[in-house]
Amino acid sequence: MSEVTLTAETGRALGTGPSRRVRAEGRIPGVVYGAGGAATSLTVDRADLRRALTTDAGLNALITLQVDGESFLTVVREIQRHPVRRDVLHVDFLKVDPNAPIEVEVPIRLVGEAKQVTTNGGMTEQRITVLKVLVRPDSIPDSIECDISAMTLEDSSILVADLALPDGVESRSPAQQAVVTAQLTRAAVTARGEAGGEAGDEAAGEAGGDSGGDAGAGGESSDD
Amino acid sequence: MPRKVKHRKQQRGRLKGNAKGGTSVSYGTYGIQALEPGWITARQIEAARIAMTRHIKRGGKVWINIFPDKPVTQKPAETRMGSGKGNPERWVAVVKPGRILFELSYPDDVIARGALNRAIQKLPIKARIITREEDI
Repeated sequence: MSEVTLTAETGRALGTGPSRRVRAEGRIPGVVYGAGGAATSLTVDRADLRRALTTDAGLNALITLQVDGESFLTVVREIQRHPVRRDVLHVDFLKVDPNAPIEVEVPIRLVGEAKQVTTNGGMTEQRITVLKVLVRPDSIPDSIECDISAMTLEDSSILVADLALPDGVESRSPAQQAVVTAQLTRAAVTARGEAGGEAGDEAAGEAGGDSGGDAGAGGESSDD
Repeated sequence: MPRKVKHRKQQRGRLKGNAKGGTSVSYGTYGIQALEPGWITARQIEAARIAMTRHIKRGGKVWINIFPDKPVTQKPAETRMGSGKGNPERWVAVVKPGRILFELSYPDDVIARGALNRAIQKLPIKARIITREEDI
């Protein structure tokens, strides 16, 4: 768990115009709230925020926010981005108590390769990319690993309940929610259908002379 | 196109500003993001989907995030003006900059980008490929 320090300035003017001017100066408008206190509007330096959030902890980095001579332990609760430019428009900091657990979203990282799935014409699909967990701020994991190397097409899903969580981390996502699923690709389904059809035709031909027709042909699906 | 609509004909509307929602990749790993406003017809959406699906050889998974629910009318050629609004001719999806149009999940990066590029060629607006990972 990395911890970084960020200096914020308070006393910014509110509203669209002043916020745009703040962004033009290379700062990002934001707000800090939580721990029973009132919300405070502030600005942080864009480059400093970028440095703070590009550690191994990602968006769950513990940030010591220095505001007007006071220091708060915070995490980033929300980041608003421009829909086209994707740059950060606004950031919310949540004050946290180092001893009280908080709910955060931790990224799920797939480990290994599902060879038994891919060699049999299947593919894996990651259904959820983050897991909601309840954890103390000082023990937020950087990511939660999900080993998919033992997946097969028969045992085709890994659920939230199957994830190995570190000590002190409690899942808040539904236990029966699928994290990764494995299924046949449509091309493989079609190929199997054709193979099954040919086998069926051969069997019919052997059993009933020349009665084998085109009944078993799978054909290409119209919705390619 | 919708199965049933309350009104057969709509006004054209305006295309000001950026998309308010649907601006991040939610389901797949890659997405096509609109960079211009425009109307995308049902045929263009289908052409893009087919181009993408054929390139990935029906191996990955494709999501279509837009739906053509706006009827566009057109008067017949060489018709005198007047006599009311024309007949509904096609269906379009209204798209503003920032909107994610399609999403794709595919294990191979090169093939996935190739498929998305082919889909972008079928669209009437500028668009780009974005991935789920975002930079600060």
